[in-house]
Amino acid sequence: MSRLTRRSALAGTGAALTASALAACAPPAQNGVNVEPTIPASDAPVTLTYWSWYKDLQKVCDIFNGFQDRIQVEVTWIPGGDGGGYAKMLSAVAAGGGPDIGHVDMRSVPEFALAGALTDLARYGFAEQEDQFEPSAINQVKVADGIWAVPQDYGPVATFYNREVLEEELGLRPPATWEEFHETAGIVSEAGKSFLTLDPSDGYAPIAWVMQSGATWFRPEGDGWIVDMTDEPSMRVAEFWDQIFAEKIINTNYGPQTTPWYAAAAEGNVLASISGSWADALIESVPGGSGKWAVAPMPVWGSGVGYASGVSGSSSAVVLANSKHPAEAVEFLTWMCTEPEGIDAMIEYSGIGWSTAKDYIGEARKQPSEFFSGQSYNEEVIVPMAEGQNLDWTWAPLMQRVSTIIGDGMTGAANGTVSLTDMFANSQREIVQIMRDMGLDAEEAR
Amino acid sequence: MRSRSAPWVLLAPFLVVFIGTMIVPIVMAIGYSFSSVERSGLLGEGGLTNSFAGFENYVKALSNANFVESIGRMVLFGIVQVTVMIVAATVLALLLETANAKWPGFFRATYFLPYGIPGVIATILWSFLYIPGLSPIVDVLGWVGLEIDFLGPNMVLWSIANIVTWTYTGYNMLIIIAQLKAIPGELYEAAKIDGASGFKVAMAIQLPLIRPALMLTIIFSIIGTLQLFAEPRLMQTMSAGITSEYTPNMSAYAFAFQYNDVGMAAAQAVIIAVSAFLLSAVALGISSWTEKRR
Repeated sequence: MSRLTRRSALAGTGAALTASALAACAPPAQNGVNVEPTIPASDAPVTLTYWSWYKDLQKVCDIFNGFQDRIQVEVTWIPGGDGGGYAKMLSAVAAGGGPDIGHVDMRSVPEFALAGALTDLARYGFAEQEDQFEPSAINQVKVADGIWAVPQDYGPVATFYNREVLEEELGLRPPATWEEFHETAGIVSEAGKSFLTLDPSDGYAPIAWVMQSGATWFRPEGDGWIVDMTDEPSMRVAEFWDQIFAEKIINTNYGPQTTPWYAAAAEGNVLASISGSWADALIESVPGGSGKWAVAPMPVWGSGVGYASGVSGSSSAVVLANSKHPAEAVEFLTWMCTEPEGIDAMIEYSGIGWSTAKDYIGEARKQPSEFFSGQSYNEEVIVPMAEGQNLDWTWAPLMQRVSTIIGDGMTGAANGTVSLTDMFANSQREIVQIMRDMGLDAEEAR
Repeated sequence: MRSRSAPWVLLAPFLVVFIGTMIVPIVMAIGYSFSSVERSGLLGEGGLTNSFAGFENYVKALSNANFVESIGRMVLFGIVQVTVMIVAATVLALLLETANAKWPGFFRATYFLPYGIPGVIATILWSFLYIPGLSPIVDVLGWVGLEIDFLGPNMVLWSIANIVTWTYTGYNMLIIIAQLKAIPGELYEAAKIDGASGFKVAMAIQLPLIRPALMLTIIFSIIGTLQLFAEPRLMQTMSAGITSEYTPNMSAYAFAFQYNDVGMAAAQAVIIAVSAFLLSAVALGISSWTEKRR
């Protein structure tokens, strides 16, 4: 019998716990995964773990698992990014664990890189695969010389509209330019309906507009960032929407594809949604809408300025920092996102919005759509939208903050308390300050 | 020896879990709130260092207009919602405890029922009664010419207050009833002999004697108000009026899990906890001061 009483054992445990707690009293810092030597491909068969919120992604991976035996991929479902998925991945990585592959919105990729959670894929030969992707997609996951993710799915913006009400009842056309949008929204508003609805707290909506207009809000230069939110393309968008808000010709009570939106769209009181291509699947659930809806290009700025479209929403697959098999992960992800077999499976099982591969939109997307008035809208509309993107756009490593600031600002603009033109300028100042507080080198554009 | 170590042995399982899941996280959160991260390079690839930041996070949290606004919003919410709820719970409790109440057991259970529905489900339920085009309430109000947008920027706070009131009134009512049941019958008899009316009995006997229960429910409600999270977070998708830093807890959540700024989130969490403590202390102070004045 030792003299160790339970009490002293307990006290010891408590003290040890407290000591380890105090030692852990700093948020975990990143490992230098991108400065250490690269990990060579394994000789033995490997199993990759993959955390994603796509449904049935395992079925896609099973196809890959089936035709070779070197790499097996196992998928674990996680909640969507802001619904806890990001927190889960970042916590796992900070604790030294986590899966090999994770699911991250393209716009949040630099944020993950900043948290030290990502492996730079350019170090594993992914740059050679670059030309297999649509430039507008691969461009979204690059910062300076690094490629931080494999683009998987994204949303070139287009106009989805209720053809029956807009064209047949009101005798209007879907607006081809923003000037026409202004007129159309006015006429529809006089008819007691709303051309589209907007959730002003959604900061990503104006970001898609300025992207299309030709702005580059965040420019990496050397080791720092230039934040430029008040250039001509941005101001063009701000002045335009200030006018729309002042005239109150669109509904700003709820966003597109939300529960109240479906209710209003089913009654023909909301006629359109200018959203990413993934909205098609959502709009197809508008009750009684089959055969009545159609798709048109995003309205453009006349006189040849800006681009055909912007991007709204996207997904990518990242290799997390603690992965022991980055080379195999890159091999699998390249197959999944560029081979027709992988893309078709992702469309069928996981319902991806738009393929990021060059020249392959997926077999299912080549068919005319019954819901959208028999239109082959993917080839007719979305393809040109994907090709006409602003390739200078780079996501900053704090898009969540930015979207909140812009969303809060636009909420004020919709209520008439601040103009968007002022709000963009204020936000630029605020964002630069936040980036500096984060320890990044940032300055406002001159 | 044995008798002295027995309580510790019996407490051990609780203590281990309590220290591991309560004390350690609290100590760590306080530690995090005093640290900040320094980065270098475009994406921090040049390295990351943790440094002691002193009160920098606290200063930043309190100079963040959204966060301060969210606290103000919750104080306003609390003053209105807690008052309405406690008054309603007290009235219901007194009515159910009168001698001529019919079916008290049935009504007690009915009023308590909403508390058994998780907040998330309750919010989804109510949101269907708020959304124009789906809601029968909005339709009926529309027929009589009342156009109310329950999800509008100025209205949505009170729509949330309604959900919270609906959920917790019955629960608070039960606490008050428990205290009412502890009032000795002799007091009622004495009041009857003195010829006191039912109203007089409520004002002179019941209300003074259920003060501790009222205090308890008020303090619980104040703490609950400051921690409001699930209801607004769910309704964010339906209402343009709810920003991502609408309540203090949503703000802390946003900083921790969306902006990846753990130090700031920890500082906000500490501020929320201290505010709850201070508000509870103020409520207790007011209570004992009025007690002394009598």
